[in-house]
Amino acid sequence: MPSSPPSGSDQERRPTKITKMDDSIDVTHATTGTAEIPSYRPDAKTRRYDRQLRLWASAGQRSLESARVLLVGCDATGCQALKNLVLPGISHFTILSPHLTTSQDVATNFFLHPDSVGSPIAEQSVKYLKELNPAVDGSPRVEELSSLLVSEPEFFTSFTLILASNIEPAFELQLADLLWDTSASVGGPDIPLIAIRNSGFIGRVEIQLREHSVVDTHPDTTHTLRLDEPFPSLEEHARSLDLSTMDSMEHSHIPWVVLLVRAASLWKESRGGKLPGTSEEKARFKKSIKEDMMKGDEENYEEALAQAYRVWSKSEVPWEIKQLLEDESVKNISSSSKNLQILLHTLSLFTSIAPHLPPTSPSLPDMHSSTTSYVHLQNLYKKEYQTDLARFKQLLSEVLGNIDLEDGTIPDEEVEGFVKNVGGVGIIKGTPLRASKEGKGLITEQIKEYQYDEYDGSTTCFAMHLALLASEQFFIAHKRWPGAKAQQDMSEDNREVEEILKGILGKKNLEEVDDIFVECIAEVTRGGFGTLPTTAAFLGGVVAQEAIKLVTNQYTPLDNTVIVNLVKSESAKFKF
Amino acid sequence: MTAAVLNGVPNGIASSSSSSSKLASYLSDETRFASIDKILDRKGPWTDERFEGGQGTKDFLRTQSKILVIGAGGLGCEILQNLALTGFNDIHVIDMDTIDISNLNRQFLFREVDVGKSKALVAAEFVMNRVPGVKVTPYHGKIQDHPISFYEQFNIVVAGLDSISARRWINATLVQMAQEDEEQLKPLIDGGTEGFKGQARVILPTVTSCYECSIDMLTPPTAFPICTIANTPRLPEHCIEWASVLEWPKVHKDKKLDTDDPDHIEWLYQQASARAAQFKIEGVTWALTQGVVKNIIPAIASTNAIIAASCCNEALKIATACAPYLNNYMMYVGNDSVYTYTFEHEKRPECPVCGGESLTAEAGRYWTLERFIESLTNRQDLQISKPSLSYSKGALFWPSPPDVFEATKPNLDKLLSDLLDEEEGIVVTDPALPVSVNLSIKYVDAEEPAQ
Repeated sequence: MPSSPPSGSDQERRPTKITKMDDSIDVTHATTGTAEIPSYRPDAKTRRYDRQLRLWASAGQRSLESARVLLVGCDATGCQALKNLVLPGISHFTILSPHLTTSQDVATNFFLHPDSVGSPIAEQSVKYLKELNPAVDGSPRVEELSSLLVSEPEFFTSFTLILASNIEPAFELQLADLLWDTSASVGGPDIPLIAIRNSGFIGRVEIQLREHSVVDTHPDTTHTLRLDEPFPSLEEHARSLDLSTMDSMEHSHIPWVVLLVRAASLWKESRGGKLPGTSEEKARFKKSIKEDMMKGDEENYEEALAQAYRVWSKSEVPWEIKQLLEDESVKNISSSSKNLQILLHTLSLFTSIAPHLPPTSPSLPDMHSSTTSYVHLQNLYKKEYQTDLARFKQLLSEVLGNIDLEDGTIPDEEVEGFVKNVGGVGIIKGTPLRASKEGKGLITEQIKEYQYDEYDGSTTCFAMHLALLASEQFFIAHKRWPGAKAQQDMSEDNREVEEILKGILGKKNLEEVDDIFVECIAEVTRGGFGTLPTTAAFLGGVVAQEAIKLVTNQYTPLDNTVIVNLVKSESAKFKF
Repeated sequence: MTAAVLNGVPNGIASSSSSSSKLASYLSDETRFASIDKILDRKGPWTDERFEGGQGTKDFLRTQSKILVIGAGGLGCEILQNLALTGFNDIHVIDMDTIDISNLNRQFLFREVDVGKSKALVAAEFVMNRVPGVKVTPYHGKIQDHPISFYEQFNIVVAGLDSISARRWINATLVQMAQEDEEQLKPLIDGGTEGFKGQARVILPTVTSCYECSIDMLTPPTAFPICTIANTPRLPEHCIEWASVLEWPKVHKDKKLDTDDPDHIEWLYQQASARAAQFKIEGVTWALTQGVVKNIIPAIASTNAIIAASCCNEALKIATACAPYLNNYMMYVGNDSVYTYTFEHEKRPECPVCGGESLTAEAGRYWTLERFIESLTNRQDLQISKPSLSYSKGALFWPSPPDVFEATKPNLDKLLSDLLDEEEGIVVTDPALPVSVNLSIKYVDAEEPAQ
């Protein structure tokens, strides 16, 4: 039986007090006698965005605040995505749609009202979306996509990012082609396109971009502790300690990093410079640390034993980054290369010079230690980082000179961010949407190798994707979606979609398709390419997360297709 | 607690006759639901045999079902929007909070002028204005203040809470209701988010695993040892904890720290900065100070949208049987591409809320009661901090009230095995525990008496 209301909840959720809107600082009543410390009490904007700044910080927010987003097709899914972008504060959005609002639109789209019926839907949704954030500018464009693509292609290339929500398949491809071709020209903008399709419980998000750089993937750890190859000042410090003369207090507060560097250094000295390799050696190494313990429960030694494996994991450029260094766009840079490519090129030079290691990161995990020992150790790492940074900047300056770019072309903030966290970058190379839609590119092999597995939801999602592709071809043929009519019997539409799907699979006329395809077709046409508000909201969230990742160059975006199956509450992603 | 029932007529609409006729024709236009009707009229390949579809299903959803939303915050705003659009027309919402400026980056039913007002009331009014025909009944207050009979009126409960203790409470309450009367089995759909990640789950009280069954999946809160804070600070967080845990009570005595008061944060920030300077520690900022003392979890609209949509999708499936509902847990991770993991979380037989088996606690034969209590507070599957222990003779140790505390305090230093036989069970209660837990003790002999 539930006991009395938990009193603990009071502490967990204190009643929210109305925060004052003024940002004036009053430090006169500071009660202690310490010297005055400047206060950085956040302004109203920082407070509004506080919960997101803790994810992408001010650099990410700046990018977001200069982003211009176009939504083509004004439906519930697209508007839900925009909502999640207006709230965190993009610069501007435009909605392109020639249509007038119907009651069906109002019933599924929260950013419309019964009053909107009969008015241009783009105008109406812009009005209700703008209310979400006074800092965001929005405007409607009441026009046909198809004619605008011909008459004013430069309209599209003026945006940072384009969302296409459930637009006609042929025009979707034309738009994708326009953006893909634009990004091919020298200096042409590489504008990501996020294409959305949904029907009932089924949804799909596809991203087309030529190349995307991630400047911060936000990896779990950014420490490069260099235990195996300590820099000289670290090794000297570790070797200088005289354990035998320490009192127990001091002894039990030596940071584990120092203990391990010391033990590894001693080990190497007596074994021709080699670190523990075999499991027997590793056990002996740990034993040597244990023997130094003064009593059984020294926490710093316990930590050192638990972290000992780091001694034999090599300090080097992470595998993913090594792959990037091999990329042509990094090996051969020019004045039109992206900042990240130039930085990686410089990193490649940096690591070609002894000690052939990536720059030292200034960060250090917390560990059992006295304040002074910890701060001292932290300063050693910071100093080494500064040295590496200076060396890196020197190389960068030469690299920039070689490609006729000025020093300072890449902002210091970006260079420092890169040097601090070389493992946390990435480059994504995209494919044209047309290839996957036409069953050319990477999807060909996946179709060939396809095998349904009832315990692997991704195989259902793959079949769902093919059902969507076949339905899009159905639309191109009939100018209507399969299952769109409000009738019970969909067998005729289903049969025709199945025939198209057979073609995609490369089956002969009399061959049967697997049941899973029949089921997926049935679920896709059941929705009749109508909008379920819940599916729209789900996809709107997915699309906005991806848009934020693309705009901020932080976190790793989808590459390049995700199928969401809300019948089974699962999803799977594919690279087509 | 206020229970304000607002009627379903949108404000400001009736004033204009053209828009009121527009509204009337909209509301009488049954074809407006054409998209949803496709899946309510037609069966899918994975739809349950028993699904009938058609008018009966739609009538139940639109005119008979009654749904409760707990929380009108980040998830709650999204949930209310989705339920209203999906066709749930009798929605109730509880929230004890008022609107803060830091809510506005995601709680999209609120505007700057709403800061300071009740979340439940503002959200309900907004949804009724935007989706005419829907009735949303708000309650500004705590879920614990409603009697069980209150919860009996709903068909489904959807929770979008940021509080673990509130989740534990509603979960235990619904499990108890189902245990006492299986007619009172109310599905609980629970969502939660953090940054780019989140989870949605369906709990059928007594049938599936419950919230308490998975309590050990929670990451334990970062707790810094008091000696680190007091003597060997290394991180800016240690300095901030020093300011809030040690300095605040010392300087301000009985005045309670209000982490929503910027002046209080300012004070902590100043103190922590001074201490950091003294120890040459870098990195104390206002934002970090606030983050540490309020235990702020990053939150964005898009993640809330995904999780709330998933919760409401399950509510729709449960209410109409148009598709199988989630069995029973879905995780969404957006940090690195798009990843979902859907699985069945299993019931824990010794779950204090829904399991039948009693929990066993191992104890060294030479442990004192204090050591034993410490071992309980470290248990991931209990998540308690200030337990009260009772046994056949009454209180074994209670931290409060003061007279019982004084009377039972001497037991702390006694050997557990002198106080209790192995067969003798003990009962544990704790402010964080929604139920009392029966523990049986198993003595292990491994350890020698302490010196």
